[in-house]
Amino acid sequence: MVDKILIIDDDEELCELVSEYLTVEGFEVESVNDGESGLNRALADGFDMVILDVMLPKMNGFDVLRSLRQESKLPVLMLTARGDDMERIVGLEIGADDYLPKPFNPRELAARLRAILRRSAVPETAIGNEVIEIDGVRLSPASRSATLDGTELNLTSVEFGLLHELLKEAGRVVKKDDLSERVLERKLSPYDRSLDMHISNLRKKLGQRGDGSDRIKTIRSVGYIYTVV
Amino acid sequence: MKLFVKIFLWFTLATALNFAVITYITRTFQTEPMFSRWQRSATNQLVFYGATAEQIYGASGQPGLTEFLSRLKDNATIQDVDLLDADGNLVFGQREGIHDFDSMVAKADAASGPEIDVDTSDAGLGVVPVNLSDGRRMVLAVRWAPPRAPSLFFDSWLGYMRLGGLVLVALFVTYMLATYLATPIRKLRNATNRLADGDLKTRVEARLGRRRDELGDLARDFDKMAGRIESLITSQQRLSRDVSHELRSPLARLNVALEIAKQKANPENLPILNRIEIESQRLNDMIGRLLTLARLESGAEEIEHNKVDLSELVRDVAADADFEARANGRYVNVIETDRCAVVGSENLLRSAIENVLRNAVRYTPEGTAVDVSLIRENGHARVTVVDQGGGVPEAELPYLFKPFYRVGEARERKTGGIGLGLAIAEQAVMAHKGTISARNRDGGLQIEIELDTAKN
Repeated sequence: MVDKILIIDDDEELCELVSEYLTVEGFEVESVNDGESGLNRALADGFDMVILDVMLPKMNGFDVLRSLRQESKLPVLMLTARGDDMERIVGLEIGADDYLPKPFNPRELAARLRAILRRSAVPETAIGNEVIEIDGVRLSPASRSATLDGTELNLTSVEFGLLHELLKEAGRVVKKDDLSERVLERKLSPYDRSLDMHISNLRKKLGQRGDGSDRIKTIRSVGYIYTVV
Repeated sequence: MKLFVKIFLWFTLATALNFAVITYITRTFQTEPMFSRWQRSATNQLVFYGATAEQIYGASGQPGLTEFLSRLKDNATIQDVDLLDADGNLVFGQREGIHDFDSMVAKADAASGPEIDVDTSDAGLGVVPVNLSDGRRMVLAVRWAPPRAPSLFFDSWLGYMRLGGLVLVALFVTYMLATYLATPIRKLRNATNRLADGDLKTRVEARLGRRRDELGDLARDFDKMAGRIESLITSQQRLSRDVSHELRSPLARLNVALEIAKQKANPENLPILNRIEIESQRLNDMIGRLLTLARLESGAEEIEHNKVDLSELVRDVAADADFEARANGRYVNVIETDRCAVVGSENLLRSAIENVLRNAVRYTPEGTAVDVSLIRENGHARVTVVDQGGGVPEAELPYLFKPFYRVGEARERKTGGIGLGLAIAEQAVMAHKGTISARNRDGGLQIEIELDTAKN
């Protein structure tokens, strides 16, 4: 099955080029040049993934993402301004699955798209697929849903993947390198902060335990641990 | 306060001069004419008293004369009355200490007319010869109250009160005047300092109130200047930001087009396409850094106020830098890290330390190490990064933090650097009200970042 990608970016020429590149890479691509119609297209069924630029006419990328998230869990990769931490953080907080600073390397774009698509695909017979439940957090890999005390957590696919990895080894330290390779599907490179950002968002969504302790603890320069009471 | 002292001195000088002039005018045009008037009338009185004494002696003899003289002495304006005979013996009165009395008497005797003399400190003394009907020749001396203008300050407690009042008024007026003048000047100074520190929105007129004097004009001029500077700097910053921003769109397209070309290229074209990719990646980095710098310079970046564990941050960044440096045969040594925390944005602090470290790694020779340490001292956290790259000429040290500044001979253009790292580091540190400085040490360059540590 060919994955259908929707590009929402006001740079028409860029859209054309990306479409051409991704088509060769085996995707089916459609592009829209403003936020409003982008949101409408994304809400219409049939897409597997959205590439969303932040700066858009009519409705900016964040607003599109916010509206989209109210109705759909469609994976979204945001194109953010290079060097702008705020855009990255806001994007991930609202519910982007990943971000790529613009200008981007198209090979990287294709790799990220594949990683996100693989993650969001419901694994069918993979091992380690059973439902995990630890102190109120219930994670079901089959439906890719996670709840906290019965309330849906609304995790992005990366956050879901990270929580899954941490819960599988609850009480043990999971190395950053392993998390990066297993969830983000890329090697952890120096100065790369995206893993920390995803973890930080995941922490916010999980909140603290009743006694004020953190569910996920940082083990400096090693990794993270899901603490067991 | 310096202004206060100066104004006080000037004010006191002006007051003193005023009094000198008034005293001079009073003396010249009031006291002296008054004195000559008094002298004329005293002479007339004296002649009249002499003639009367002669008549009374002629009519009622010695007792009448004594009574007349006694009455004369009771007169309020007259202090003393004496009558002397030709040999200088007192016939009436006590001759209360008046110097020059004898010479006065001699003068009056010789002139056989009235003689008036006023000593500045003593009473006015008048003498007149009296020819009694029995042929005796005598001299009548009358002493009056001193006809002089009172001294303003120095002759009584009232004078000292006046003087004290004058000094108090001078102090009060000086204080008011100094406050009136110095307050707006201080506000202007504060505003100037804030402007110099980069707060381009600083304006001063509203804080000075509606002054219509020169200081008000100065405030308005200052605001005009500040407005002009602000618009110049913001437009320059906006330009560099916009240019960088606009450059990214074609660069994004270029990247994709390049990749498509690579998809379709013959293998022999791949090396040159890869070369284009490397160069476009450099452009990309440079634009990203320019944008970061522009945002930091404009102050648009909202600085978070989180507690950041600096020791952890330094070790983290050092570990990353070490990992990267080892690929090129260089090392990063963490000498020591004191536990300390600062308040600010972790991302900005990270980028500051990262830029300094990467810069040091770039210039330290192969096989050598860059030393990093974090020392906590007196409420300051000091991050020190030392490389072994030979340092830079002393004269160029101050310019190291200027964007795109390249050190002339010692540090040749090497791979990668575009001269923005230290500028970004400086802006990030300044956003945290810290300082960053460079100096040569042991054949290398030492960059030092100093920040205030978080309380408790």
